[in-house]
Amino acid sequence: MADDAGRPTGGLIGQPHVRIDGRLKVTGQARYPADEPLANPAYAYLVISAISRGRVAGMDLAATKATPGVIDVLTHENVGQEVKPPMGPDGKPTTTTLESDQIWHDGQIIAVVLAETYEAAREGAYKVVVRYAAEAPSATFDSPGVEVEPLKANETRHDPAKGDAAAAFAAAPVKIDARYDTPIQHHNPLELFSTTCVWEGPKLTIHEGTQNLYWLKGSVAGQLGLDLADVRTISRFVGGGFGSKGAPTSRTAWIAVAARRLKRPVKLVTTRDQGFTIATHRAETRHHLQLGATPDGRLTALVHEGWEVSSRPSSYNVSGTATTARMYACPNIATKVTVVHADRNTPGFMRAPPDTPYMFALECGMDELAYALGKDPIELRRINDTQTDPVSGKPYSSRSLMKCFDAAAGKFGWAKRDPKPGSMRDGDWLVGYGCATACYPCNIGPAAARLSLTPKGKATIQLAGHELGTGAYTLLAIVVADRLGLQVDDVQVMMGDSDLPPVPGAGGSNNAASTSNVAAKACEAIRQRLAMAAVRTNAGIFAGVDPATLTLVNRALVGPDGRSEPLETAASRVSPGAIEAHVENVPQGLPPDAAAALYHGRASLLRGQSREDVTAFAFGAQFVEIRVHRRTCEIRAPRAVAAFASGTIVNPLAAHSQYQGGAIWGIGSALHEQTEIDLRTARYVNHNIADYLVPVNADIGEVDVIFVPEEDHEVNPLGVKGIGEIGIVGMNAAIANAVFHATGRRIRKLPIRIEDLL
Amino acid sequence: MEMTLNVNGRDHRLSLDSRTTLLDALREHIGLTGSKKGCDQGQCGACTVHLAGRRVLSCLTLAAAVQGRAVTTVEGLAQGENLHPMQAAFIAHDAFQCGYCTPGQLMSAVACVREGHAASDEAIREYMSGNLCRCGAYPKIVAAIREAAPQMAPKMERA
Repeated sequence: MADDAGRPTGGLIGQPHVRIDGRLKVTGQARYPADEPLANPAYAYLVISAISRGRVAGMDLAATKATPGVIDVLTHENVGQEVKPPMGPDGKPTTTTLESDQIWHDGQIIAVVLAETYEAAREGAYKVVVRYAAEAPSATFDSPGVEVEPLKANETRHDPAKGDAAAAFAAAPVKIDARYDTPIQHHNPLELFSTTCVWEGPKLTIHEGTQNLYWLKGSVAGQLGLDLADVRTISRFVGGGFGSKGAPTSRTAWIAVAARRLKRPVKLVTTRDQGFTIATHRAETRHHLQLGATPDGRLTALVHEGWEVSSRPSSYNVSGTATTARMYACPNIATKVTVVHADRNTPGFMRAPPDTPYMFALECGMDELAYALGKDPIELRRINDTQTDPVSGKPYSSRSLMKCFDAAAGKFGWAKRDPKPGSMRDGDWLVGYGCATACYPCNIGPAAARLSLTPKGKATIQLAGHELGTGAYTLLAIVVADRLGLQVDDVQVMMGDSDLPPVPGAGGSNNAASTSNVAAKACEAIRQRLAMAAVRTNAGIFAGVDPATLTLVNRALVGPDGRSEPLETAASRVSPGAIEAHVENVPQGLPPDAAAALYHGRASLLRGQSREDVTAFAFGAQFVEIRVHRRTCEIRAPRAVAAFASGTIVNPLAAHSQYQGGAIWGIGSALHEQTEIDLRTARYVNHNIADYLVPVNADIGEVDVIFVPEEDHEVNPLGVKGIGEIGIVGMNAAIANAVFHATGRRIRKLPIRIEDLL
Repeated sequence: MEMTLNVNGRDHRLSLDSRTTLLDALREHIGLTGSKKGCDQGQCGACTVHLAGRRVLSCLTLAAAVQGRAVTTVEGLAQGENLHPMQAAFIAHDAFQCGYCTPGQLMSAVACVREGHAASDEAIREYMSGNLCRCGAYPKIVAAIREAAPQMAPKMERA
């Protein structure tokens, strides 16, 4: 094995390794935030609004306060002035909670009951009598009273466009003109949203499952007017995030206020139904897609217009046209996005936020176009494949899309497919094969890390990273062991605490790229110190040797001629104890102040679709077999094959799980998941995890994952592209395309259920 | 009310609200936080424990109702440093990601084998469908159970 500079490495990067935190997780010892032992905690229970628009006219708290064990009740009247509202996921104003009597949405926090026990807090909360001044709410698209806001271009967003798409579409010999819908979806991580706050004098410690420790820290400090140094956030394990724990939300500051008033720790574990409205979700979207093509299949026009729902004050949007405009070679592109404001909670990041809904439209449209042309869907994508970003004209850093299609098609058995809809049957089951493109931009952010290496060859790396299930602890242990010539078990990884050096939040699939590259940089700093000391001494075997040629292998410093000296000897020249390095890594292309902003929780990512040098995406191909029962229209997904090329894969074992889990998310997204909303009251109806359908074990058959090898020397030094999101992208379209193939019914909305096929 | 709960072979004398669930008794009062609260209404399976050898949802079980019966949680699955074969198989197959549903999956998986429902992938999928895994580790959970089932000799099992 060799790195970019040709130096040998430990060969551990790319070798599967079981999770180093696996034992903690299977023995119940992994400590999630609500598992922290506390001295004399009080318990909090939220009261949430039963209307979607209006004001709290008054609250009768007498019965609550008379409940044995109830200590205090927070409302807008007694604590409303103590906290500044948090910003939304886009860093701009969002809905408020106890700051005033205003109700923005169903299920908004309007009071917090504090008690000696969980049971007393819950009873007290149920006894709060709220008088509302209710107004007629607007629920979603087409509801009376919504505000429609076509988004304008500004410094941070623009609508990808080129050529004259309208004219090209009008003139196109073959056209698809179709509309698609995607539903409201909720992450529903298994871990309930929880917050525990503990004060020690002026210092506040927050235990909360978060994908962004420094953002949460900075947000709460700002909201409460605290010194940044006085706030610490701890989240050693996160029980699933999927974006729901990415941005700070309102509850945290109120629990901090509660703990300050009570002068004791306060613990809040919210209920499953509250999680639907006190955090974020994937908003419903609409799409109008127009594709124009020549008879031989070359795209001549792509027009993609999207509509997304947000809350009244927030214009949060995902604008996935930034992805769909870049998928295929096309000379004429026009895109536009409109936000529709309703009386709803603000949406936020959910696994591949832009790409999951927007690629559904494009990849269904490509399948429709393939049928209109009489071409194979894979061949249509091959005809329009490109190594150049069609919007910016920049080269892709690497793009292995068709390799993924070919690998997955072979394994899947695509050649056995008769393209005629409804032509394939197995007894009473109609069989359909579908495929679609998967993609996700490669993002990387600034990051810091502290690394120490003992003469005996034990390393400890510390950074405020996040383990959501991605295998983040193990990934760092592998990188450090590889670069320092150790075994994975020799490396201790410390994460999940804002007292450690900052890294970006775990979102946008940046974690592996951001943390592995800073870890490698820290290892290089230690290697250089060992090497410099070894070549400067007169006593050692490396006196006068070029230090750049010395590497760390098997607990030894090794020269280009193979001569080596033990690590202990080399280390003793540098330090009598451990050698330490504290490094920051700011990827080229980010502003110079990116590192400083990181400490304030404002990490700016270098995004794959807006780099100066290249356009950087990971690509993949999703294949699925769908069976629809001829009589009952029951829909099953017995097997799927997905192939991905995501540059360097640090740990194929955990990566396989990420990809497979992503594909399963795609199956849920296509066939199960929808948050239903009552159009009259703008309230969610199925706000529990039995009526909000997610795949269960019996819903999932074979899900094969293929790693397509890919080396990318442009994307970042380690060539790591990120894998957390791409697994879901395109699977929903592949399934809709397979349903069409099985039945001849083109369903252009999600989820696809029995009633759509009756 | 005063009560004594037997958890993982040890008696715990507790003074609890009569409404306290077994799950909250374990987590908030005994300090065994391995069992997880994912819904508190019997929908997700993250709180699954064994009561007198059978799997139950501890969030739907009142603590006061289990006095005199042996409760086993994920913390009681291993024997000292020796992992239960099911725990070892979950690690080897990477049958979890975030790990939050894992204690419940493990307790259900062990029960699934003991119940005689682990003879085929189809049976495992059906009898493990009361335990949601939002990370989507299902195929690996099935593989881990298939591997561990024949290794589950009675001597490895706590009564």
